[in-house]
Amino acid sequence: MATGGGGLNAAAAAIGMESIPDGLRIAEEETPSTGSSQSQINDNNSRVGGYIDCGVHITCFSEVSNNGTLHFQIIRLHKQIYAWIGCNSAKFGHLYAAAPTRPNNTVSVTSLLGGASDNTGSGIARRLALKTGLNVIVACNIPKNSPMLEADAEKKLVQKLINLGYTRPKSDGTSS
Amino acid sequence: MDSSLSGQAFPVRHKNLSVDIKGHKTDIILCSYDDHFLVIATQIGSMGTILHARKEEGVSIHPTFNVSVVFGKRDEPMLVACARQLIEHMSNSGSSRPLVLALGLRDHSVVQSQ
Repeated sequence: MATGGGGLNAAAAAIGMESIPDGLRIAEEETPSTGSSQSQINDNNSRVGGYIDCGVHITCFSEVSNNGTLHFQIIRLHKQIYAWIGCNSAKFGHLYAAAPTRPNNTVSVTSLLGGASDNTGSGIARRLALKTGLNVIVACNIPKNSPMLEADAEKKLVQKLINLGYTRPKSDGTSS
Repeated sequence: MDSSLSGQAFPVRHKNLSVDIKGHKTDIILCSYDDHFLVIATQIGSMGTILHARKEEGVSIHPTFNVSVVFGKRDEPMLVACARQLIEHMSNSGSSRPLVLALGLRDHSVVQSQ
């Protein structure tokens, strides 16, 4: 089985990372290969929690529940949020895109890779776009016919988004 | 109910860097999943056009690749060429995992894409 490290370095080498002159590299960081932190926020340029004016924020965390281990990865770009939800594995899963569309900011969702006939993940993408008001791209490998797991994952993901300040404030008084 | 995974690293490794290309700040994110690589290169604050590139199963010596745009601009051949070049480099480096490439570029000229 190919190791993750070798493959990632191959991908990095393929885009010529090693040949980028040091003067051009503004900032660089990498996940540590060991560590037991549950929540890990890699801050590129600006601090998390305030107004994010530039930079990319990557948040990775895992939650163990009765139904299995859920892994979450949230990448906050300036105008878009990418989220990956892994259920017991690090497979990429199916990819969905959701965005608010005219009129009335109703949200449209489409599947990009896989997942044409099942809805696991597409509902999550749609509700994330509703809550954040941003375009969202969601990759999710939760198995089909697991509504409890899907609901659990969505709840944890939304809670983290609220903690990070990426969601719009709710009107029912919940603090964000 | 919720407990941290003691002693276990997050299963997805990622690398995050920022470079300056022709005056535009470009954020590059590399993520390694079990069965895919995700590469995001953005200058516009969003993932932009998303492409999927994979190596075809085959018995010939020279592998063939399938590259397609799954989201975004479908009329920019340099994006497809970029994904094609990238998947070939990765395949030559020994990895046969498919690639999901997100390019949010301001300028689609030849020099920029490389």
